[in-house]
Amino acid sequence: MTRSTVALDDVTVNNLGTFKIINEVCLPTTYPDSWYENSVKLPSEVSQLAFYSELPVGAIQGKLINLSHKIPSFEVATSILMNTKLKIVHDALYIESLAVLPAYRGKGVGSKLLEWIIEQTKERFVHEIALHVHVDNKEAIEWYKKKGFQQQEEVVKDYYKQQELPNPDAYIFKMTV
Amino acid sequence: MVARKPIFAHKEDANAREALTLYEAKQYKKALKLVDQNLKKNLSHAESLALKGCCNYQLGHKSEAENYILRALKNGSTNYLVNHLAGIYYRNVENYPEAAIWYKAAVDNGSHNTPILRDLALLQLQTRDYKNLRECRQKYLESQPGFRANWTALAVSHHLNKDFDAAVSTLDKIEGIIKEHLQEQDMYEHSECVLYKISIIFETGNVARALEELEAKSDEIRDRLSFLEMKANFLLLLGKQKEASLIYRQLLQRNPDQASYYQSLEIALGTSNEAPEIRLKLYDKLSSFYPRADPPKILPLSFLPASHPEFKKRAADYVLTQLKRGVPAAFVNIKPFYNDHHKASVILSIVQEFFENEINNFPPPVFVWANYFLAQHYLYVNQLDKALCYIDTALEHTPTLVELYILKARIVKHSGDFIEASHIMQKGRSLDLQDRFINSKATKYLFRANKVEEAIDCVSLFTKNDDDAANGLGDLQVMQSNWTLVESAEGYSRLYYEQCALAKQEGIESEKSTETMDLAEIYLGLALKRFMSVLKVFQVYENDQFDYHSYCMRVGTTRDYIEMVKWEDKLHSTPIYVRAIRGFTKLLQEVRVELLNSETDETVSKEKKKRNVKKIKQINVKKKNEVMARVQPSPKDEDPLGQKALNEFREANKLLSQLESLVKQLSLEAANYLFTWDLAYDFYKHEKKYVLALQALRSWSKIVDPQNKKLRVVGNRVLDLQSAVEQDGSVNVAIAKVVQKGLESAFPELSEGQENLLSVYSH
Repeated sequence: MTRSTVALDDVTVNNLGTFKIINEVCLPTTYPDSWYENSVKLPSEVSQLAFYSELPVGAIQGKLINLSHKIPSFEVATSILMNTKLKIVHDALYIESLAVLPAYRGKGVGSKLLEWIIEQTKERFVHEIALHVHVDNKEAIEWYKKKGFQQQEEVVKDYYKQQELPNPDAYIFKMTV
Repeated sequence: MVARKPIFAHKEDANAREALTLYEAKQYKKALKLVDQNLKKNLSHAESLALKGCCNYQLGHKSEAENYILRALKNGSTNYLVNHLAGIYYRNVENYPEAAIWYKAAVDNGSHNTPILRDLALLQLQTRDYKNLRECRQKYLESQPGFRANWTALAVSHHLNKDFDAAVSTLDKIEGIIKEHLQEQDMYEHSECVLYKISIIFETGNVARALEELEAKSDEIRDRLSFLEMKANFLLLLGKQKEASLIYRQLLQRNPDQASYYQSLEIALGTSNEAPEIRLKLYDKLSSFYPRADPPKILPLSFLPASHPEFKKRAADYVLTQLKRGVPAAFVNIKPFYNDHHKASVILSIVQEFFENEINNFPPPVFVWANYFLAQHYLYVNQLDKALCYIDTALEHTPTLVELYILKARIVKHSGDFIEASHIMQKGRSLDLQDRFINSKATKYLFRANKVEEAIDCVSLFTKNDDDAANGLGDLQVMQSNWTLVESAEGYSRLYYEQCALAKQEGIESEKSTETMDLAEIYLGLALKRFMSVLKVFQVYENDQFDYHSYCMRVGTTRDYIEMVKWEDKLHSTPIYVRAIRGFTKLLQEVRVELLNSETDETVSKEKKKRNVKKIKQINVKKKNEVMARVQPSPKDEDPLGQKALNEFREANKLLSQLESLVKQLSLEAANYLFTWDLAYDFYKHEKKYVLALQALRSWSKIVDPQNKKLRVVGNRVLDLQSAVEQDGSVNVAIAKVVQKGLESAFPELSEGQENLLSVYSH
């Protein structure tokens, strides 16, 4: 393969279906349809697809938030409420979803998506990245730590309760860029 | 045209000439005014009437135009001006046979207007009147000998009359005349004319002379590819193998991806029938010259037997390279060898071995493509469970690959579940909404699932939708998208039959059944309408050639022109057209049976029927409007549901003449289709034209049983025709005898009785 194996491209209204299916098969959580629609509609959303030898295999989406706002649950994190407060001063980029198809993990796809979102964060003059991880998701916890994220002491109780995950608490991870 | 003003005996004539000048200057309104003055005085002034017809046509009053033309012809059928105007009118409305008649009449009645000859020639080409064409071209050439196009046109007319010598000598003559005057910009046309001449010489069978001419004119020929291809072919036919092989090698250098060059080269080298090892050596050599070319790699797979150790090695090399590179078409490329089931199983074992032993050493996409390949294999050999298993594995692994959904939908379709198949296709489509291919596929599968309107909405995402149109149907017709038209027609047909079956279940009397019948009626109309729009598209194809009769002469692309004419002559054997006719005639037969039944029914039930019909119409209004909003291709369409067309067909004459013209058309152009003769046989038998039915039967039996294996179906149909004639009390005795004799001469076993026939035709 002469071309670079991992490549990135924008999420558009035409390939939302691909974005959706990647999240659906990789993540235990369910995002409402409106969330997908907003990802191409709202300017505060930053999202990207990753391709492995031209097959779409991964996706990331983040948005600008103010860290002082509390995010008590997954539903709040993905609701439109977070986006409508446009007047707030953004001081961080919050990663809403990051998924890579299981068969394509360990090949630098996730790293490339993360690199991209770090660039995006800097371009928007924000210097902090934050996210939630399910407490049972060892693979992700290890991965984020390896990538330089700091696990916060605080544990968000029942963050994933409505998503009906067993052990529904979440850790918060942060990184300064 | 005429230098001095002629003096006319009548003022009307003078006025008419003046109007004519205005007409020629496209001042139609002014011309019409003058003509109307004339007609006030003299109601039957032929020239004025003809002009009025033409002006009306040009001004958009198209429905009124023909009436005036007809009246003009009645009053002045020998007036060449009137003839000419009538010709112009009929040409404008694309009635070419009629136009040809009146142009011819204009010439015969003494018109000195030479352009008429040119126009007449075009019409004669359009109507394939080659006999008269020659004379017309000759006359026109005599009046305008200064243009090469006119000489070429004359040569073409000789060629089409199969008078090859005359064609060649005409081309020779102009070549000699023009030689001195050729300029750089004429050289391509010249080159084409020379090649055209050589191809005619070749057609006469005189290959040696064709080659001689080709070599002599080598410097004048610009199309080097044609030159080389012709030369190689001529040499081969003349038995000059060595020289031919050199040219084929030259051609390979130009284009190493053309498989036919390799095959021709082998003929020239005489290796076609050699042992596979020898041929393999040749291909290996060629492959080393052209490492990126596909044919030297794939052609050996066709002549190596499956049991040959090299076959497995080569096939593995070919298939696995593509799988590892992630070529989606890997299976399609190798599929040609599946007609040999030994080869198929070798290929399967190659991929399976790779799949079991090596797949983990490769990046994940290879796993997907290998599963995709195996799923296609099992679909091909119709083991749907296994196919499904592989495609599901692939989908689980990479659910974002559109191709996988397409294949899975295909597998499910083959299992007969059209609805589920369309769901899968839709899911695949959602991955990439701007992929036109998957959009078309999803559309097709929706049609197959009888969701006709959803399908139209789906395909409309890729059409130009006018503001006032409900969907892209209008654009699909403009774009001549035959497949969507045929699929939608077939979808409506299935819905029609569904409703009919439903109505039968519900019983004739119930309230519900009238509603069901309403829907059936609507679907029938829509199906007919869609089929007819395919017919219209093909009419356009036919009419479109008109411009090329003159254009190709002018630019000198005669070889392609001849190809086009040949293609147009077989236009109605295009598979999609025959498919449309198949569906269309089936529905027409349905209407016909319905008509026959209503005729034989007693008066009482006829009354009832009438009542029912009335009721239907009433309920229809609401339902009609509802359906109409969704299916109307454009608000200008006067018959959006096809009900008008349907009712016209219910007046039996229209139906019969439509069927008859289709039968004739297909018998002429699509004689190699079984369907053609099925249709012809049924039609003529019903029409009690038994001699024609016999002919259709004979043509049919030759296709259905080409090796004369004496199939039972043939025997049955012979008896069917015989008994149809016997049971028909009204048949002319002489005709019955002719048919019986004809049957006995075609199927001699019949003369010893029906049982004897069936005992022979038992396979």
